[in-house]
Amino acid sequence: MSRKTKISLSEPELIQAIRERKRIGSEALYDMYSASLYGIILKIVQDQQLAEDLLQDSFVKIWNSIEHYDERKGRLFTWMVNLVHNLSIDKLRSKDFRNTMKNQDIDNSVLDDNKNTSRLNVDTLGLNEMVNNLNPEAKAVLNLIYFKGYTHVEASEELNIPLGTVKTRVRLAIISLRKLFN
Amino acid sequence: MENLKAYIESGVLELYVLGDLPVSERLEVELMLKRHPELKLEILEIEKALQKYAESQAIAPSENLRPEVLAAINAEEIKHEPSVIAISTNSNFYKYAFAASVALLLLSLISLINLQSELKELNNKIAVLEQSNQQFSSRVNYMESQLSNAKQSLQIFHNPQEYTLVNLKGTANAPTASMTVAFNTQKSEVMIDLASLKMPANDKQHQYQLWALVDGKPIDLGVFDVQNDSIGMQLMKSIQNAQAFAVTLEPRGGSVNPTMEQMIVMGEI
Repeated sequence: MSRKTKISLSEPELIQAIRERKRIGSEALYDMYSASLYGIILKIVQDQQLAEDLLQDSFVKIWNSIEHYDERKGRLFTWMVNLVHNLSIDKLRSKDFRNTMKNQDIDNSVLDDNKNTSRLNVDTLGLNEMVNNLNPEAKAVLNLIYFKGYTHVEASEELNIPLGTVKTRVRLAIISLRKLFN
Repeated sequence: MENLKAYIESGVLELYVLGDLPVSERLEVELMLKRHPELKLEILEIEKALQKYAESQAIAPSENLRPEVLAAINAEEIKHEPSVIAISTNSNFYKYAFAASVALLLLSLISLINLQSELKELNNKIAVLEQSNQQFSSRVNYMESQLSNAKQSLQIFHNPQEYTLVNLKGTANAPTASMTVAFNTQKSEVMIDLASLKMPANDKQHQYQLWALVDGKPIDLGVFDVQNDSIGMQLMKSIQNAQAFAVTLEPRGGSVNPTMEQMIVMGEI
C-alpha cells in the first residue's frame, strides 16, 4: 500500500457523489470496492490482465449507469456484484472460455489457491480463516454461483445434485456467513 | 407468518440477492417485499453477509490500476462534455436564428410599408375612376331622358292623323318668337314641343302661360319655362275644343286672366 489514505464514504454519500459526478465519488468507489470486486472477477476469469480490464470496464459501467441503481431494491454492493457478474460472464462467453473453465477442477481455482492469499487484504485475513471452516458442500455451491457466475440451475447440473438441494445449500452457506460476520 | 417463514426458508431471497432469478420470479419477490416489509430485513442480512464474504475473499488489483480506472471514468466525463459544447452550438444556433428573425421582421416591415403606399395609390385611382364613372352614368341618364323625349316627339310627329300641329307666331311684342303645340282632340291632349320654342328665356319671377281660346274666351292650360336646349313634349292641361292657342308672359305661377299686353305668340287651329 503506497497510498496512505483510502477514501471512504457512507453508502448514501457515495451514491450521491457518483450521481453528482464528483471526483471524490469515483475515488471512493474505487478505494471502497475495487479489491472485493476484483476478487470476484479474478475468480471468474482466472486471468489477471483480463480481470483488470474487466474491473475497469465494470467501474466505468457502474459510473455511467448509476441512474439505473435503485437503493429501494437493495444495497449498492449487491447491484455492483450483479453488474460485475454479467460483464465477466459476457466476456467469458464471447471468448469461449466457458467450456475450458467448466472442465477445470473447482478446487484448483484461484479461490483456494494459497499463492493468492498473499494479495488478500490484511484486515480480512482473519475472516478468510473463518470462511474456510464453512460446511464445504454448502460453500462449494455458493462459490460456484457467487465467485464463478454460475446460475443455480447450472450449479445443479455441474454438481449433479437436485435444484432443491442447491437452494438449500446456498441458504445454509449464507446463514453460516451471517452467523460468522455478526 | 408460517407461510412467510416457509418463503424465507425456500432460499428464494438468497437467489434474489445473487441475481440468480428469472425476471418473473424477481418481480414476484419484489411484490412480496412490498407486502411484507419485514422481508427487507432478511434481504439486508443476506446482502451484508455476501458483501462481507466478498470482502473476505478480496484481492487488491495492481497499484497502477487505480489511476487508469479513475482516468477512464474521467474520460467518460469528458466524453459527456460534448453535450455542453452542443449546448453552446445550440446557443450559437439561437443567435443566428434570432438574427434571421430580426432580418425577416425588417424585411416584412419594409414590404408592409411598400404595400401600404401602393394600396393608397390604388385607392386614389379607384376614387378617380368612381368619380368619372358617376359623371359618365349621370351623362348616360341625361342622354337617356333626352332620347326618350325625342322618341316621344317623334311619335307625335309621325301621327299627323292623331295630332294636329299648331304653329304659334310672334306678336308685335316679340316678332321673331314662335312655337309649336300638338293637339289631340280625341284624347283632349295638349302638348308643347319644347324643341320648337323660339322665345326669350323667362326669368325667375315670370313664367309663360298657355291659353286656349274657346268661343273667344281664354282658358288656362298651365305654365311653362323656356330653357335653352330643351327637347321633348310637355303635357299641358287638357281641353276638348279650341279655336286658337296663345301664350302670355305672366308672374310666376300664372294668372287667372291673361295679360293681353304681354302676349308673345299666337296661332289659330
